[in-house]
Amino acid sequence: MSGATTAPARPRPVVQPWARPFWDSARRHELVLQHCNACNQAIHYPRVACPHCGGGDLGWRRASGRGTLYSFTVVESNAPSAFIADMPYVVAVVRLDEGVQMLSNVVQCDPGELRCDQPVEVVFERLDDEFTLPKFRPLR
Amino acid sequence: MNIRRGRTAIVGTGEVPTGRFPDRSAIEIALDAARLAIRDAGIDKDEIDFVIPTTAVFSFQFSNELTTCRLVEELGLKNVSANATVFSGGSSSTNALRIASALIETGRARSILFVHCDKLGTGVSAQGGIDLFSTAGISMEWEVPFGQHYSTVAALATQRYKHETGTTDEQLSAVCVSNRKWAELNPNAYFRKPLTIDEVMASKMLSTPLRAKHSNMLFDGGAAFVVTSADHARELTDQPAYVLGEGGVVTHFAYHQEPDLTRFGWARAGRQAFLEAGIEPADIDVAEIYDSYPIYQLIAFEEIGLAPRGHAGRLHLEGATAPGGRIPTTTDGGMLSKGHIGAGGSVSLLVEAARQVMGRAGPRQVPGCRFAVETAVGGTYMDAQVTILGSDVPRGRPA
Ligand SMILES: [Zn+2]
Repeated sequence: MSGATTAPARPRPVVQPWARPFWDSARRHELVLQHCNACNQAIHYPRVACPHCGGGDLGWRRASGRGTLYSFTVVESNAPSAFIADMPYVVAVVRLDEGVQMLSNVVQCDPGELRCDQPVEVVFERLDDEFTLPKFRPLR
Repeated sequence: MNIRRGRTAIVGTGEVPTGRFPDRSAIEIALDAARLAIRDAGIDKDEIDFVIPTTAVFSFQFSNELTTCRLVEELGLKNVSANATVFSGGSSSTNALRIASALIETGRARSILFVHCDKLGTGVSAQGGIDLFSTAGISMEWEVPFGQHYSTVAALATQRYKHETGTTDEQLSAVCVSNRKWAELNPNAYFRKPLTIDEVMASKMLSTPLRAKHSNMLFDGGAAFVVTSADHARELTDQPAYVLGEGGVVTHFAYHQEPDLTRFGWARAGRQAFLEAGIEPADIDVAEIYDSYPIYQLIAFEEIGLAPRGHAGRLHLEGATAPGGRIPTTTDGGMLSKGHIGAGGSVSLLVEAARQVMGRAGPRQVPGCRFAVETAVGGTYMDAQVTILGSDVPRGRPA
């Protein structure tokens, strides 16, 4: 490591109280999704009320952790300051098997080998004591 | 349904060059643009009875000054009943025109001045611009922690669109070349030297498959326009830019929530606008398409009906959108060549659409331009806004 670095710390999620179970679960390496008990649909990201039916009877269910790459990009330059050291890194929109979309990173992969619609599975990367981020890797 | 078509019109536009002007203050840019628009409208300044500024992203302080009536005071406008900021990022121009038209139609205002200026070229550093747009309009909980920013936003749509339509990098790059050919004719544009597809494809990779020359750059600049009733417009000029139709669809806040990154809400917004205008996409003489990145020009172009799905790239490559082409598109050079000035990206395009139908587009004038369509979008492509202007008001089926 060379001396002084002025790169800002990686941004932490600014958590809304109703989403706290998602982040608490991620810290335990579990991917959970909010679920509407009225209209029986998965919800992501978590809401104060169901975005489909407006109902407030919401619970949490463990997700399969599997999905497909709807789209992805490999960041090679001009990243935000906090991410310059991470380049190249992959940003992706993942379509989970539960029918919701999530923005994340694809890790443990050769970025040049990624393709739209390929199957991926969740992995967890620790950010700090409070936060662990759900990320994805190609399904083997 | 009421016939709203053609009840209001843009009667004057003003614009200053886009570029880096460290010695020009934001207020100077705004006042220059405003005075040019009032002069172009041929009205006395004291006829303005409502002012709509929009936000300047580079400075909260300056934006606050616009919100608290600085333009009214600096311009010495004596008969203004209200000054109210309208801001929705890159779609601010459309929303300002929409609100202005409603105020005029309901008799709440007679002549409305809209003004935009920003200093993103000299008011923020290059890395500062990247960092600003790694949080502006991006979810602090669900996207910022993963390194999302505006290059990745555009790249995600580009990757999926290429996958679904087979559009090539060469065709995407042709958008940049087409818009540059128009910018060569625009003294207010920043990039005016000829550009080739090879140069675009050799430029630095930002976020695959998006390269540096596929990306807009941020600059200083400003523009303004005056809106009034159709009746008053006819007293001022033989050829106003009538507001014929508009359509809008809000789709998302967080980008990953968008179910189709290759379409967004353009198709429905376009249908609304054309229905209200009483014309068909084939009637369009000029298309001013929001082009912060090539992908968005291609998607909107297709979805509003100017080309079949997956054909827009080829049309750009064949020259159909360039000067002398069949569908002159983004004729001021757009954000890709004229330069991106924040909310001003679509202000420029709306002003250019008005100039084209008013016959005031100088060397870029498309002969006999009767109908122009303009698209605008804010945030991370959160809404699809379509406006149709015309030099006359088509009869036919009421909208
Ligand atoms: Zn529900």
